[in-house]
Amino acid sequence: MKKKIVSVAVIAVALIAVILLSDKFIINTTENSFFAMNTVCSSKISGKESDLVSEEIQAAVEKLDTDVLSRKNESSSVSRLNRNMGGEIDEKLFEYFSLLLDVCKKSGGKFDFTLGAVSDLWDFGGKADLPDEAKLKEALSHSGSEKITLTEKSVAYGDSLTVDFGAAGKGIALDEIKNHLEKNETKEAVISIGGSILLYGEKDFTVGIRNPEGNAGSYIAILNVDGCCVSTSGGYERFFEKDGKTYYHILDPETGYPAQSGVVSVTVVSESGIFSDALSTACFVLGIEEGAALAKEYGCETVFVDENKKLYVSDGLKEKIEITDNGYSLAEQ
Amino acid sequence: MNIKLIKKGDILLVAAIAVIAGIFFLWQSLNNESLTAVVTVDGEVVQTVNLSAKEEKIIIPDTQPKVKIVAENGKIRFDYAECEDKLCVSCGNLEKKGDTAVCLPSKTVITVAGSDVDAVTY
Repeated sequence: MKKKIVSVAVIAVALIAVILLSDKFIINTTENSFFAMNTVCSSKISGKESDLVSEEIQAAVEKLDTDVLSRKNESSSVSRLNRNMGGEIDEKLFEYFSLLLDVCKKSGGKFDFTLGAVSDLWDFGGKADLPDEAKLKEALSHSGSEKITLTEKSVAYGDSLTVDFGAAGKGIALDEIKNHLEKNETKEAVISIGGSILLYGEKDFTVGIRNPEGNAGSYIAILNVDGCCVSTSGGYERFFEKDGKTYYHILDPETGYPAQSGVVSVTVVSESGIFSDALSTACFVLGIEEGAALAKEYGCETVFVDENKKLYVSDGLKEKIEITDNGYSLAEQ
Repeated sequence: MNIKLIKKGDILLVAAIAVIAGIFFLWQSLNNESLTAVVTVDGEVVQTVNLSAKEEKIIIPDTQPKVKIVAENGKIRFDYAECEDKLCVSCGNLEKKGDTAVCLPSKTVITVAGSDVDAVTY
């Protein structure tokens, strides 16, 4: 009898130890959160040396922001190019410019990453006031991606443009992170750069689509997807109200004013981070029909939410979406 | 050929192990149900609040611009912020797991720990 009690105790302790240690014992997982690119970033990485990979990813995003993309840093590549109306570029910048110029062209100019001077006048998140109309017109006249001439080694602006990678920067960061994860033996990762998500690994992931009327962690629907990038553009991220009207931070490149396409938010699912991010902005400006068509040209899937709380879902996601908020429903398509 | 039959004692042994393991799983999952709010500044945890226990706290982290966070009645919120747009304050009360509010200028984040999804895109 005594022997049996001892056996039970040993096996029970062993079971408890296995339960407690299972996650850590089998796979290392490291979680991290930090601020970069003027937004909140988070990572959850599972795999060999996950703590080291996590640190390297944070450093890589901070470096991308400071050295390349940030207009707040005078010595960044984009600041240098803007100051000198162009200049020499490396392989990475050539890639960013050529991919984004393609989106500008295919969107008929409804996506344009040369609106920096215009968006500065709006100052969303700062004083947030209507800009002077004359100044807005002047700034708008010095925009236009068609004025960019690109070669593999250089870019030339045909005007005093202000290139701003803000509409695609988070997606660019996701692609850089993905490259980094591939070089290491990372088993699985979930990365968020200001709500642009990289899902990495061989598993079924679940992604919530933010509730436009709720806080940053609340969602109205869940997407069930494989490894991919998911980006969302929504007016709720940055806006101000004045005299009873709401001004969202996503500008229509034609007018220089906030886009008013009837879209409250649009989510783009893509293998590419830069396309998921840039196309989410383009789709917000274009509206549901034209936006969905543009995304389809790039092999991307979309979910639009309109002002009537209807969801428009592209074919590739129809079987993969579950609406979790009763106030929202699928539009008849 | 001798066939050993399962003895009564063996059945008791297996049952005892199953009960102990079951109790432990239940204890773990009950612990995971308790709601905890985590306040971070620039990625570092500055405070945690037990929302399930309706812990009451006023948190004013050392930030510029200043923010005031209030936890009461199982909820937590940015009660006041010196930032220009006050989007953080407009998030209102956070009370369910995964609920999150961010004040970008002060790099302050409130999150109710846990989530039913891998990520939320916004």
